[in-house]
Amino acid sequence: MKAKMKSVKKISKIRSGFRVVCRCEEVTEDEVRAVIRNGYHSLEEIKRILRTGMGHCGGRGCLKVIARLIEEETGIPIALQKFPSSRPPLKPIPLGQLGSYRNEQKER
Amino acid sequence: MSKKNADAIVIGGGIIGAATGYYLAKRGLKVFILERRFPCAGSTGRCIGGIRAQFTHDLTIRVMLKSIKMFQELSEELRTDVEWYAGGYLFLAFDEARKKSFEQAIEIQRRYGLKVDFISADECGRIVPGLNTEGLLGGAWCPTDGQANPFKVTYGYLEGVKRLNGKVFVNADVKKVNLSGTRVVSVETANGDQFFSPIVLNAAGPWAGEIGKLVGLEIPVKPDRHEALVTEAVERCLEPMLVDYRPDGCYFVQHSGTGHFIGCYTPVPIVPGDSVDASDEFITEMPRRMVRLLPKLASVKVLRHWAGSYEMSPDGNPICGRTPVEGFYVSAGMSGHGFMFGPALGELMAELITAGESSIDLSEFRLDREWSKAEAMK
Repeated sequence: MKAKMKSVKKISKIRSGFRVVCRCEEVTEDEVRAVIRNGYHSLEEIKRILRTGMGHCGGRGCLKVIARLIEEETGIPIALQKFPSSRPPLKPIPLGQLGSYRNEQKER
Repeated sequence: MSKKNADAIVIGGGIIGAATGYYLAKRGLKVFILERRFPCAGSTGRCIGGIRAQFTHDLTIRVMLKSIKMFQELSEELRTDVEWYAGGYLFLAFDEARKKSFEQAIEIQRRYGLKVDFISADECGRIVPGLNTEGLLGGAWCPTDGQANPFKVTYGYLEGVKRLNGKVFVNADVKKVNLSGTRVVSVETANGDQFFSPIVLNAAGPWAGEIGKLVGLEIPVKPDRHEALVTEAVERCLEPMLVDYRPDGCYFVQHSGTGHFIGCYTPVPIVPGDSVDASDEFITEMPRRMVRLLPKLASVKVLRHWAGSYEMSPDGNPICGRTPVEGFYVSAGMSGHGFMFGPALGELMAELITAGESSIDLSEFRLDREWSKAEAMK
């Protein structure tokens, strides 16, 4: 995981620009940096402003990259950043499937 | 440690604090907003964004008519798209008692010019294609109710506060409110910062009681837990907020901007306390209730499930106004409706604080009232 984080930083030095950091909500690196530069220095705030972490992946794809961007922009180390709570059901499950569990319980 | 001076301090960075702070700043005050964690960390960021004027308390209806008018123009006011959408609210009646209570509510609501009707089950089915109308007697329908995005609205207000020379402090946990005689003079946060102001507004939502205690006031706000879920975004297929008041009912809406379905229910019995843990019961029970009402949702996937606090007052109506402590105001106890009340109560409280009275008299919401006139459409 450490190596992966490093490579993100390396790439960002080569070319900062139109790069998607949150695929679910289609948020680019530039958008994230702009929000950080506007004074929002936490993953929680950025999540509420840009919806990063609110898509299908639940933040698995983007949060660590954004934490790195916060560190780059503000100097706040990733280790001191608070990550948003993981929300169930972790992987998307159809309403019908979740609801039928309940119906089956009732029939018993 | 630092000392800072403001004309008004707002405790709480949710919708109430943000909106009131904004309208105070618009009246020329230098406003500090002190948020214990981050904006929208509490109830506002966990709410589902419904906005309606269908209430039974006269003052609440008047406040909401004002709020809806403000929501219509809010994107322009805040220079950001707050995703206001007038999709309406449809309250479903599955028994005669409920139908009668809606009809009585409609009579009150119409006195204030609200466009609201009791419509047949067939008409409900036309407004909501695919609605399961089995056992449905009809519904209370108001097309001018709607929805907006709580994050966009709250952060929009806070950006406005900053434009108007104010400041927003995050991780600012107020631990002390200092008085001089019976007058408020300053507040102190957990990390030792001191902020001076002759005006302090308690907009701490579920924690308004704790802030009240800092000045020796009892503010009867008690949180209870509500849970919510959001689905993936799908093609638009539901216009209004659907409200099913049956004991095992629920309410949900499709987000106008993105297409997500978002909804919740009121647990029976209520779950007191400010815990925001998510339960196994809800994640299975809520989908059952949603699919029962709108079977076509069966294949739509749930993305997230969370909980938040309704910050209840004894009668389900807000607590807004002055307190026995000079300069110390309260705007809390929104009882699950803070987001929709936000713009109107924000402006009205700013009027009260700066001019001594508000254009809609809020005295029925005062702290020292009798708690007997309960809201029926909670």
